[in-house]
Amino acid sequence: MRRAPSLLAVLITIAAATLLFWIFLHEVSSMWLDVALRPEVRQSLERSMEDQRTLRRLDPQRRAGYRQRFDENQKLLNRIEVIRMSREAMLRRFELSLLALFVVAATSASVMLWFRYRRAQERERREYLERMGSLQETARRHAHEIKGPLTAARLELERYADLVRGNASESELAHAAESVSEELERLARYTREFSSFAGVGKPALRRESLGEIVEQFCVTFTNAWPGVELRDGGLDAIVCVDRDMLRQVLVNLCSNAAGAGAKTVALTIVKNSGRVTLDVRDNGTGIPEHLRPRIFDPYVTTRKIGEGMGLGLSIARKVMLDHGGDLQLVESSSAGTTFRVTFGGEEC
Amino acid sequence: MGDVPPRRGVRVVRPALAVVLFLLPLLASAQPQRLTFQVQPGGVVAAVLPASILSDTDVRKQLSSGLTATFVVAARNRVTQDLSGARIEIRYDLWDEVWLVRKIEFDRKQEQQRIASFEALEKWWKTPLRLLATGAPRAPLQIDLTVLPFSAAEREDARQWISKSGGVGTAGGGTGLVDALIGTTIAAKPIMSYRWSVELSLK
Repeated sequence: MRRAPSLLAVLITIAAATLLFWIFLHEVSSMWLDVALRPEVRQSLERSMEDQRTLRRLDPQRRAGYRQRFDENQKLLNRIEVIRMSREAMLRRFELSLLALFVVAATSASVMLWFRYRRAQERERREYLERMGSLQETARRHAHEIKGPLTAARLELERYADLVRGNASESELAHAAESVSEELERLARYTREFSSFAGVGKPALRRESLGEIVEQFCVTFTNAWPGVELRDGGLDAIVCVDRDMLRQVLVNLCSNAAGAGAKTVALTIVKNSGRVTLDVRDNGTGIPEHLRPRIFDPYVTTRKIGEGMGLGLSIARKVMLDHGGDLQLVESSSAGTTFRVTFGGEEC
Repeated sequence: MGDVPPRRGVRVVRPALAVVLFLLPLLASAQPQRLTFQVQPGGVVAAVLPASILSDTDVRKQLSSGLTATFVVAARNRVTQDLSGARIEIRYDLWDEVWLVRKIEFDRKQEQQRIASFEALEKWWKTPLRLLATGAPRAPLQIDLTVLPFSAAEREDARQWISKSGGVGTAGGGTGLVDALIGTTIAAKPIMSYRWSVELSLK
């Protein structure tokens, strides 16, 4: 966790920055003003005026011209003298004004940074709590998935022992043994699901017709989810893809759509600026808003405990990322959900 | 017309009595000569400013600078708080080497002259300056004299000049920022100031 900067530290920093700024400002502003007020400038003007007066005696015919130049120098000299006499006040006002602006800017920046820090701290805290909540939920699901078959298997074994002691028939013993076996198989399926998550292999990419893959998928899986109609958008594009892995992704998306009560799932190929995407849109109930930002995280699911571990979408996204593409949630509402499958390109 | 003797004259602010007593020897050397007043027809009060003001080192230096030294005399009735006054402007013309003087009295009457020498200027300085007109038999006055190093016109000219320098290429001279930061700080800081408190009897 980051530590909050103390108010004293902030104030000291602002004061130090202000002091440095003032020193710099004082030096610079004094410098430009002193350039105009250098004694040499004044002396030069005075000498020039003296020259004009001398010239009027030596060359009386051009007296008017000398007078004009004399007056111009006199005016300039007067201005410099007026500014010289106001030098301190001018510098003070200039420095104070800029210093005030600096302090306001520094304070505003500090306040903004402080608020930003507080927001980041709050976000960090919220994310930590969410992570912890997610882990707790995961632990509950693991416990349930393991505890169910184990308890059932233990009870079946006890029944089996009773049957043995009671000289039960072979068929009864076989039935009890089969029940134990079924529960152990449930445990095995559960561990397989994790194995598939841990062992998602690299895709074997080949140039394939995406239109053909989608068409085949719609035909093959037409009765896979009762009450769900798969619609093929009809377009085609060549992509670099592992056909089996893409099918696994589409199965996962359609399975989720069926779970959300969708009646149709439309698979539409879109070509945009040379990029091929496959939009999968269902008309189910949508994904709850609070889950949308984390929908691709492992163990995030809308299903009840015992109905799935929430690994499907995270596996599907990993598969598409391995393709050089991605799987994104485009939109979700009570009218349905759209996922977008993007591909790496035509060259494998 | 008749001369009215002033009751007292002190420089700047009247300090506490103890301090005055303590500093009296020092103050005495710094004080200008006393003001001399005249009562003219119509209850007009005129004052002759002390010659020591004109010969003060700082004032002499400023008088020869080419800028317009301005002597502002403010007369306030201490009872009625009525304010009146007059102004003298003196500029040394370096080309013709003459003193250009202008006197503006309480009734806006102006007088301008070209004076050829400092001695003549000192003589002119001694002419009474009409400060106010009053019908009251007595006038408790506070007279303030402030010597400014340059005139308002010269200040404005310098302000516009520096404003243009700060706002090159903008129409009409400087930017608002330069005007706000710098232009308004150009002010004539008084070279010196005097204060006299007098009680005039005009009977």
